[in-house]
Amino acid sequence: MQKPAHWRSADNRIGLAFIAPFVVAALVFMVYPVLESVRMAFYYIDPLNPDAQRFAGLANFETVLRDPLFWSSMGNAAYWTFTSIVLQTVIGVGLALLLHLPLRGISIFRGLLLFPYIVPTVVIALCWQWMLNPEIGIVNQVLRGAGLIDANIYWLATPDMAMLSTIMLNVWKYTPFVTICVLARLQTVPTELYDAARVDGAGVLRRFTDITLPQLAEVLAVVVVFRTIWTFNKFEEIYLLTRGGPGTSTYNLAIYSFEQSIANLRMGAGAATGVIMMAMLFLGSILYIRLFRFQEDA
Amino acid sequence: MTPMQRVRATRWAGLAAAYAALVAITLVICFPLMWALSTSLKPKQELSAPPTMIPHAPTLENYRHLLTGKSQYFGGGSADYQPSTAPPQYFLGWFGNSVLVSVGSTIISIVISTLAAYSVTRFRYRYRMAVPYFSLLGYMVPSIILVFPLFIVMTNLGLTDSLWSLTLGYVSTTLPFCMWLLWAFFRGIPVELEEAALIDGASRLRVFWEVVLPSALPGIIAAGIFSMIVSWNDYLFARVFMNTVEHYPLTVGVMLFFEGVHVDWGLMMASAVLMTVPMAVLFMLLQRHLVAGFGAGAVKG
Repeated sequence: MQKPAHWRSADNRIGLAFIAPFVVAALVFMVYPVLESVRMAFYYIDPLNPDAQRFAGLANFETVLRDPLFWSSMGNAAYWTFTSIVLQTVIGVGLALLLHLPLRGISIFRGLLLFPYIVPTVVIALCWQWMLNPEIGIVNQVLRGAGLIDANIYWLATPDMAMLSTIMLNVWKYTPFVTICVLARLQTVPTELYDAARVDGAGVLRRFTDITLPQLAEVLAVVVVFRTIWTFNKFEEIYLLTRGGPGTSTYNLAIYSFEQSIANLRMGAGAATGVIMMAMLFLGSILYIRLFRFQEDA
Repeated sequence: MTPMQRVRATRWAGLAAAYAALVAITLVICFPLMWALSTSLKPKQELSAPPTMIPHAPTLENYRHLLTGKSQYFGGGSADYQPSTAPPQYFLGWFGNSVLVSVGSTIISIVISTLAAYSVTRFRYRYRMAVPYFSLLGYMVPSIILVFPLFIVMTNLGLTDSLWSLTLGYVSTTLPFCMWLLWAFFRGIPVELEEAALIDGASRLRVFWEVVLPSALPGIIAAGIFSMIVSWNDYLFARVFMNTVEHYPLTVGVMLFFEGVHVDWGLMMASAVLMTVPMAVLFMLLQRHLVAGFGAGAVKG
């Protein structure tokens, strides 16, 4: 598309004026903090006295990488992320297929899907705390009433159950994200494909594996990469429910970084953890950009 | 049964199964908040009784505590409580703080990203494609990395513990995805109308104001809602930036209810409900736009 000549010269200044605030804001609020966090990783910084900083060299990285808690946090984060993503993807696709059915009133259900996304994490964490309360929480009461358990389950006070509880919270909140992306893609699959397959005698399962899945492959790849990056770095979803506990059994890297900075007053070590997270994020993003082709309007 | 009847029977069975599944999902999605609502309406004695969805003796007592600020912890209240670090008299203040910071940061992000999106999609200059790429990268950077450097920035600016630190701090998380969403949206707006107006002699600014903005409104609204949600729901930034109880937004304030010796579940669930209401209202009013936003591929989660 070619623009008339008089556009370019006369009002290019307006174009630059319009982009200027973004450039300033991006430099101050995005670029600077990221660069600053890299710098901080090489200094000793006490959050109570942030002006007194001493150069630390690689000492912060050494501290972090030698800390068994760092590695167990990494392990937890990997386990948490993997389990959450598998559940979100499987349930999310199933839900999308269900919501794709041409049923009366289905749009109400589709709209409802977004609800978990808008609920503050603090609120969900409070609700979960209350529902999972060992003595008077509804979950244990119902399980007891149904005769499924004899002793109360300590959902948030035993390591395995605490991990499971945070995963449930995460799956509850973010499965709709997968569903909505998949649903949007499903609506663009040409129905002729299914008609043709039906004529050829393909059953429901066959139509799913031969038509639906290949059509969804691309969007699923994008969604999974996206969700993996975000889930791996989540802080509030775990911290507000378990504070990383009991003990340190639900620590992930974000909580580790937070506790180094706040509880141990070692912002440098916290920042070093952040830099390691960013390095992993960077690798993830490269993967993402390769998967997701920009349609440039050159 | 004739074959026709059998076909009809399986159709009905399928339909029934589908609707049953839909109802089950609705329950899973709605139950936590319904249960919070139910709990918040129950008097204290009912909480440890066998649970019922409908309270036997519904009461607004918990809400009264929160909203009137007549705390049950201090002065003349019942004596069986340890004073909490955050008595409920602060609740309305926290609510106001949350409104201020989320509206403020949303306005800043929206203004900046609308102007930038117009500039990037309607003007040609070098590196303009860096803007969407950069935003995409930006909205994958986790808050935990941004929060401490921003804390030091705010300390240097003397803004820690002020609502400005949050208003500005949230721009770092809301701006990238507002930018990304609006970039995608502006690309989809046909330029012919603008060109016609320009050729007719209207000024660029007038075209922007009278032609472009109205057609971009759905995208701007979607971006605005997402931005509101993200800033309203934030806990981490507020936890790190703010020190004074009166200056907390809702998220950090309400979590303080946990720190008393005695956890008052009725009060907690009432605050959970009140905290969700503004987002739920936004959600219902603007659901269509929200879905449009998801379609444009821009949502942070």
